[in-house]
Order: sequence, then C-alpha cells, then structure tokens
Amino acid sequence: MKCIITIELGTNGIRVFAFDLSGRVIGSMKGYYPTFHTEPDHSEQDPEQIFITTLYVMKNLLNEYIHPKKYKVACICFSAAMHSLLAVDKNGNPLGNAITWSDNRAKKEALELRNSKAGKNLYAATGTPIHPMSPLLKIAWIKSRDKERFKLTSKFLSIKSYIIHQLTGEYKIDYSIASATGLLNIHNITWEADALQYAGITAAKLPDLVPVFANAGKLKKAYQQSLGLSADTKILVGSSDGCLATLGDGVNGEGNATITIEDSGAVRVMGPAVLKDEQMRFFNYLLTENSYVSGGPTNNGGNIFEWFTRQFGDFTHPYDIEHSTQQLIEEASQVPVGSDGLLFLPYLLGERAPIWNANARGTYFGLNIKHERKHFVRATIEGILYEIYSIGKSLAEQRTIKSLSVNGSFGTIPFCTQMLANMFNKPVRLRQQFHSVSFGAWLLSATEMGIYKSLDEAARTVELPDVYKPDKQHHAVYADYFSIFEKLSSKLFDEFEAIGNLQQKYAMTEEPVKQKIKL
Amino acid sequence: MNQFVLQHGKSAELRLFPHLLEVGTKKNVSIHLNTFPTTTAEGIRIYYIIEGKFEWRIDHQSYVVYPGDVAIVLPGISFGSDNGVLEIGAFTWVHLGIQKMENGHILPGKWSGLSESEGAAIGKMLSLNSSPILSRFDEAGKILKCIHAELFGHEIGYQARINHQLDDLLIQVTRHMTRQSHPGRDFPKTFMRLEEVLRENLSHQWTVEEMAALVGLGTTLFTERVKSYSGFSPINYLINIRISEAIKLLKRPDISVTDIALDTGFYSSQHFSTTFKKLTGYRPSEFRKNHLRNI
Repeated sequence: MKCIITIELGTNGIRVFAFDLSGRVIGSMKGYYPTFHTEPDHSEQDPEQIFITTLYVMKNLLNEYIHPKKYKVACICFSAAMHSLLAVDKNGNPLGNAITWSDNRAKKEALELRNSKAGKNLYAATGTPIHPMSPLLKIAWIKSRDKERFKLTSKFLSIKSYIIHQLTGEYKIDYSIASATGLLNIHNITWEADALQYAGITAAKLPDLVPVFANAGKLKKAYQQSLGLSADTKILVGSSDGCLATLGDGVNGEGNATITIEDSGAVRVMGPAVLKDEQMRFFNYLLTENSYVSGGPTNNGGNIFEWFTRQFGDFTHPYDIEHSTQQLIEEASQVPVGSDGLLFLPYLLGERAPIWNANARGTYFGLNIKHERKHFVRATIEGILYEIYSIGKSLAEQRTIKSLSVNGSFGTIPFCTQMLANMFNKPVRLRQQFHSVSFGAWLLSATEMGIYKSLDEAARTVELPDVYKPDKQHHAVYADYFSIFEKLSSKLFDEFEAIGNLQQKYAMTEEPVKQKIKL
Repeated sequence: MNQFVLQHGKSAELRLFPHLLEVGTKKNVSIHLNTFPTTTAEGIRIYYIIEGKFEWRIDHQSYVVYPGDVAIVLPGISFGSDNGVLEIGAFTWVHLGIQKMENGHILPGKWSGLSESEGAAIGKMLSLNSSPILSRFDEAGKILKCIHAELFGHEIGYQARINHQLDDLLIQVTRHMTRQSHPGRDFPKTFMRLEEVLRENLSHQWTVEEMAALVGLGTTLFTERVKSYSGFSPINYLINIRISEAIKLLKRPDISVTDIALDTGFYSSQHFSTTFKKLTGYRPSEFRKNHLRNI
C-alpha cells in the first residue's frame, strides 16, 4: 500500500502527516522548535534544530505508523511558512540563524521603500507587500548592516530550501515560496531585475526556481537508511502554508474565500487574476502558472485571545490554557451579541491588512457602568473577528464572496466559526479533523501522481462537511457595531502614533530588567 | 520576640549542627549606621522580614524588602546595605553551610534527608534563580521560628526535627522561587526559559526531576505538558537540542569530536556517535567530512 507524507514547516514547529492514496489520515506528529528574540525586532530560528526536528519527527512517524503496517512511502511533499531567509556559505553551511517572517529589523528600509515610486512598482511586479517580513528587505538589511555576512553568502535560501538541500543536496525554491520573497515577478515568473538590484544580488545567489510539482532530487543514502525509505521516494518541493491552506479548503475561483485564524490570520481567495490595489493592501502569491492566491494578513488573531486568557483567565490547573480558554468562551456566550456596545480594536501587535499601520494599538471603546468582566471576554473575541471581517470586506471590493471556509486553531472554535458566519452573513464551512495546509499538500501530491488531472479538479473534490449558517438578526447587530469599529480604526491614526511614540520613549528610559543566570 | 545570635564554633546550641553557621533574630528600634556592612560568605543566607522595611544590596543590586519577604543570598555573593545602615524593623535569619562540588554544583550536605538527585536539583535551582527576593512567603517565617524553638527547647528528637525543618526550608524556598517566576499561565514563555537554561548548561547531565523543578511542576504533569506542547518527551527534546548544537560544532574544524560530545552533554564520544548516527544516518566524523569539504 502506498502512502503520501506531508511536512509542514510552520512558525512554531513542524507537523508531519501520513495520508493513504484516498486522502485518509494514517497518522500525524508534531515537533516544536523555538524562535529566538536576541535583540528587539529580531526573530530567528536555528536551521540545524529545524532540520534535526524534521528528521526526528519523520523517523518517529515512520516507525509508529508506516513501517509496521508495511506502507510504502511514494512521495514526501513540503509546505512552509512564507518569508523566511537563511544565508549560507559556499559549502552550504548556515551563516547565522534563519530570519523568520515576524522579524522586524528591516522596518526602516521597508518604510522608505513603501513610500517611494520604486516601492509601488515592486509591489505591482512581485505581489508581496512592502513590509519588513519580505526577504527582499531582509537581504537589503544584511547588505547594509551585516556586510561580512553579505560578502560570505553564496546563496540566500528559505528555511524550506535549506531542509531540502540537507536531504537531497539540491538548491530549489518553488513558485509559491519564491513569490513571497518580494523578488519574483509574478506575471512572467522570473526573478525581477529591479528587485534583485534593490537587494544587491544576482539570480545566481538564489535557489533554482521550480514549479510546486517539481521533484527536489533524490534522498541522500544516509537518510534513506536512517529513515528506512527507498531510493525512489519522490521528494516534492511543494508550496507555502498560505497557498496550501487555500487549496486544502477547495477554495478556487469566483465566489469562495477562506479564513485562516491561528496566532495571526488571513482572508484569501484564489483565481486566475491578481488583485490590484493602489493602497498596496493585498498580497498576491503564486500557486501555479495561472493561479494566484490573494488576500490580506492580520497580525492579531488567536494570539490576542491567548494574551487575554493569560491575563484574565482562571489558571487553577497550571499551564492548562485550553481549560481556561474554554471557560472564557462559556462566559462570552452568556453576553448578548455586540457585547452591549463594548467594542475592542485588537491591534496589540500593530496591524497589517487592511490598515497597514505598525503604530496601531489595542482599544476598548464604549465602556459603560453596566459592563461586566464577561463583556470584555466577548468584546475581545468580537474585535478579533471584526478585523477579519474588515479584511474580507476590502477583498469584496474586487471579488464576489458567496461562501466561506475557515481553518486554523482559533477560527475553528465553534463559537468563533458561528460568529464569523453571522458577521459575514454567509455560510461558513470547515473540516474539523485535520489541517487544511497538510491536506492541500496531499492534493498537490495526488495531482502530481496522476490521481487528479489538475489542481482545479483536485480542489473541486474537496468537501467540507460542517456548515455554520448565518443568523440574520445577529448579522444586523454586528453590522451596526462594525461601522463604528471601522471608523475608529482609521480615526485614531494620530493618537495611535502619539501613544506608540510615548510607549517607546518611556520604554527606553526604564532600566533594563536584568536577567542573570548564575552558575 | 527575643533577639539572639548563635554562631558556629561559639555557641554550644549549635554543636550538633555543624552545617548551621549562624542563626538569629534582630529587632532594631532606631536607625543605626555602620552596623550592617557588606560581606560575602561561604554558606547560603536566608533572611525573613518580620517588621519594618529594609533597603539591602545583594550582588550590587538594590532591593527593598517588606514583612513576609525572604532574601536569599547565595555563597560568595555580596550582601549588606549602603553605609552599613540598619533601618527600623525586625528580621530573622539562618546561615547554612553548603557543600560545593568540584564542578561548581552545590548540595545541601550529609545532614539532609533529601536524596542525592533531589538535593542536586535544589542546588541547581538555587544557583539558577535570578531574583534573590521571594515575596509573600510567610511559610519561611514559620519554619525559622520552629527551628529557634527547637534549638532552645532541647526536647526529645530536636536534632532530627531541626534537620527536617532545614530540608523543608530548602524545599519551600525552591518551590516558592519557581512559582514566583512561573505563575502557571504562560507555558510557551516558561518553556522558552527552560530552553535557554538547558542550552546554557548543555553539558550538564539533566534529569527530568531537575527540569520539572525548574518550571515548578511535578514530573508527571511536566512530562505531559512538554509532550503536548513540543511533541517530544523532555529527554528527547533535550537530545534534539544536543544534536542540533553538535551539528553546528561539527561544522567548525577546531574542536575534536570527543570535546563536542562532552560539551553537548553526551556521556562519551561513543554515546554521541550512536545517537547521532541513529538520527542522521551519519557518524559524526563522516558528517564533519562532508560539510567541511568545498562543494
């Protein structure tokens, strides 16, 4: 019996699934790897630890589910978080850690480029918003601030390219990950000359650009032996988490959109044309030659409710955040729709789409004497989801959205899914049992193996069994409150900047907390 | 409350307790200069505040302590107040001799009823703790009071009882420390801190007990939380970090494989080689050869 393994290199760790050829999950495992914040605005991961974790989790999964049942692994397909950057030397050895999407070190460069004509052109050509997350700006930062590393760099890789290079010895980057680097022209699928020039590199410093179906080379002998895999195991380069979550939910063409809410969130659509936007609010990433995954990302998703839970939740069971979250959701469900007029702007981490304002801050608004603790709980959830709605509304200026799907740990909490259906006044579908990203990777592998003729056909077969239907009365209440939410998020522009400046000013005068570890 | 000071070698009351370097209670009714000078000592010093408010300097950092607070001063750390000022108030203390191992680890000593591994874990916890002040810690005051009463009471079994109380004091201090720094709300943060400590002490032969104690959980709950958060058991996660660090070192030509094995916490180069090969398919020396070669 053949099986397909999908490997998802995520922000906080790796997730490996084994599927049979009918798309049924045989087993799954995960492994955490840390993110280091050694300096303010820095956010890095250790490529060696990611690689070892990949091997370790794969080995455990194979030994537990695959080898004992005599499955033959036909194909291993990769997906990864976008925007990571890792410089390696001529021997392929990392020069420092990998820089993740949430790293903000290039914020000055980003702001300058964003406000320039060149920035507008680069956005239109590459589809990647001009933002510190973009590898384009990270390379530019290394070029001007870390000259030694820049000089020694033989290749600028993504984390996925590094892992694949370790396993097969080849340097590859797929269209999806490449289209999120800010360096790829998404219209003619070649490296964009102006972007290369801005970054100060030539195309030779980047991995080979290949379609998502491409074979990434043969697994090295040592890994064939240690993992117990045969030499003909296909290694598919695969795609990005965002593109695969969209594919995995079967969202393709006019009428459909998908909402992902994990720690952060996004609303995405997929189709043959890019979304053009003068205000540069949307991303356009490539899945294949003629299909673009477009949408808007938010910084403030489940991580904001997690923050709330840690501050105000009940922790009689130490470290049991699931229990605390559940209790709060129960409390929230006792509060009327609209939280009796308490609004929450969730911008604790600044915001990307749709307002693209790094200075934005959180706000509770409309507080009156009758509000209780439980109103804050519900208002917090409503605020996070108003923001998602707000992204969806801006997408609806260019695309018709008739139905929605939702994925991600926060979005699929039934209370949240129902609220999304009510806010959007549209049915929301989902699949509880597993990750849309990994299922997208399975669809991709199955298409490569000839089980489906095309990704279009593969996407059409996706059935999301659970449906949440909208409640019209609730929708009317949310629509009323949303109009104030939307006004506040732009009206407070000056005050956001002012308070952000003060926060920075007084944070700097405060004595740094001494964290000493003695031995 | 009576004032007193008992000192090792001077006070007969301490003859049976060579590990008790000093025990005392002080009540100060007016401000005195030059009576509380900065000193460093061999033992661990534990102060419990009964009344008033004191500004003390521990390891060159200034702290204000209030009733119910405990100050922990580790061996070799400077402690006192600026100009030797002693403010108004009352406090009680114990100086406890501690066994220092060659590798720098501290252990409670032979008098203790703690098992060797638990004693080592407590020593490790104390030496890793970054804040010397434990607040709202009345329990410590009660234990010290009980020790005083036993020292002067000489009732049957007092020697055993005092040693039990000292063990209890060390245990409570350690538990209070971890609860104070890890209030049980933020596992990702706690795990990140644990990670940091493991990385900085990678050559140490960590036990699950020590790791669990560091985050203030029992071993069963700790193992469960680590597994559900990281996907690995605590020991497997540690192996993960060890191999990752070893890979980085193998890519540098200037360290021997044996040194890498010991630096990253493997028992021997043999143990390192087996674990490394099982996971990566290469022996460390092969891996090194492949990666030092110009491609």
